[in-house]
Amino acid sequence: MGAPEVSTELFVLLSAILFVMGAVGVLLRRNAILIFMSVELMLNAANLALAAFARQWGNGDGQLMVFFVMTVAAAEVAIGLALIVAIFKTKKSIDIDELHLFRD
Amino acid sequence: MELTLFIIVGAIAVVAAAMMLISENAVHSALFLILNFACIAFFFLMLNAPFLAMVQITVYAGAIMVLFLFVIMLLGAERVFPGAQTRFRWMTPVAITLAVAFLLVASLAIVRGDVKLTSRDQTVPRVRVVNAASALDSIDVYVNDEVVASALAFKSASDFEAMDAGSVTVSMFNAGDDPQDTEPVITQDVDLRAGEAVSLTAIGTSTQQLELVPAVEDLSQPAGSDLRVLAINALPDGMPVDVRDVSQDELLFQDLSYGEAIPGVTIHAGTHSIGVFPTGDTNTHLAMLRDETLDAGKSMLWIFTATQESGNAWENQVIELEGETLASFGSPTHIGQLLFGHYILPFEMVALVLLVAMIGALVLTHDSTVRRDTQHRPGYVPAIDPITREVGK
Repeated sequence: MGAPEVSTELFVLLSAILFVMGAVGVLLRRNAILIFMSVELMLNAANLALAAFARQWGNGDGQLMVFFVMTVAAAEVAIGLALIVAIFKTKKSIDIDELHLFRD
Repeated sequence: MELTLFIIVGAIAVVAAAMMLISENAVHSALFLILNFACIAFFFLMLNAPFLAMVQITVYAGAIMVLFLFVIMLLGAERVFPGAQTRFRWMTPVAITLAVAFLLVASLAIVRGDVKLTSRDQTVPRVRVVNAASALDSIDVYVNDEVVASALAFKSASDFEAMDAGSVTVSMFNAGDDPQDTEPVITQDVDLRAGEAVSLTAIGTSTQQLELVPAVEDLSQPAGSDLRVLAINALPDGMPVDVRDVSQDELLFQDLSYGEAIPGVTIHAGTHSIGVFPTGDTNTHLAMLRDETLDAGKSMLWIFTATQESGNAWENQVIELEGETLASFGSPTHIGQLLFGHYILPFEMVALVLLVAMIGALVLTHDSTVRRDTQHRPGYVPAIDPITREVGK
């Protein structure tokens, strides 16, 4: 492994940008499915940083962590989408601004 | 070149993420997210993680996003109709300000901070013990008073084990001897450096000249159709030898003196006849490996030694041992070794989490689960009713 041409910093910077975009999506979008997709974007940004540091240290543990994050994300998506379907069945909407069960 | 690619694909990734946020239609958002995931898979390839790139495409861009699209289509939820959204209007500027602030702090930390770490060679030294001393029967081997091999017979080797780098004392005893009471037959200090695989080889054909040879192997995978060979000369009379590939008429090791381990040479895989000759001599071989089939991608350790036959004749022999090559970083083999070795417990736990999620998704979406709370429980006033009324169904 020679000196990599693209430094770890650049990867981490890109990962930070994608993470922030995901966070903005979670805060601003009203469609529950889109919020979910933004969370996936954030997870992927974190994965990118993990893989970048794994290369930096020449250590496979970072890549393993990415693998585990992916698996847990798959589980999370299954549960999350099931929740959305269940909410849609009772409320006929997935606009999160309308989902306030304990107010009014 | 690599940097240009990084900038282009990085720009695509950021634009795809932005379009995902901006799109009014959820299906378009999902498609842009798939594009973004594809870009990240490309980055995984750049980061020496081909396995992760593969999983990213199949699991993320494939399975997970199909699930998303399926749910969007199933619910007909492509659009959230713009309604009375006055309540949270203040959130937009606040969120964007916070995001920009976070990004600034993060970039400052990345550019100015101590993120720049010096690369280090991470692999711990790996050690195995080889008994190639015909003067000894089976031996017990201790490294710093810790047993690494017990009752190791002549011509056999222990498995590679990870050890801490640094200087260690290796002691060998006749099998079954108590290390506290008896003198070791061989004791020697060995330096272990990170990233090495060392075969601690005991050689010697008589009890007077027992010796320990630390043979350092190269762990990297030999290219394509090659294999790597390391040789140790342990012939009884202690003369230097040449090792020739007789079939190809090629000199592999020149002037290999007694107890010396020469850094490995690479040879092509295939059938070879390998002969051991006294230095300078090409006619009278001391030992011969005839028509030996050598497989590619391996690392071999050859030890030339002799056993005493009945009468005083010496029978020269070649001990062939398979060495160790580490899978290249990030390859499926490497990830698999980590996953089923060191990380087997987390792996099992994640599998369990997936199983629970699967059952959970079934339970959550099951008809009776959704309706039970709102309709069938006696004396229960559904909390959703007034809201549904206010929202207008």
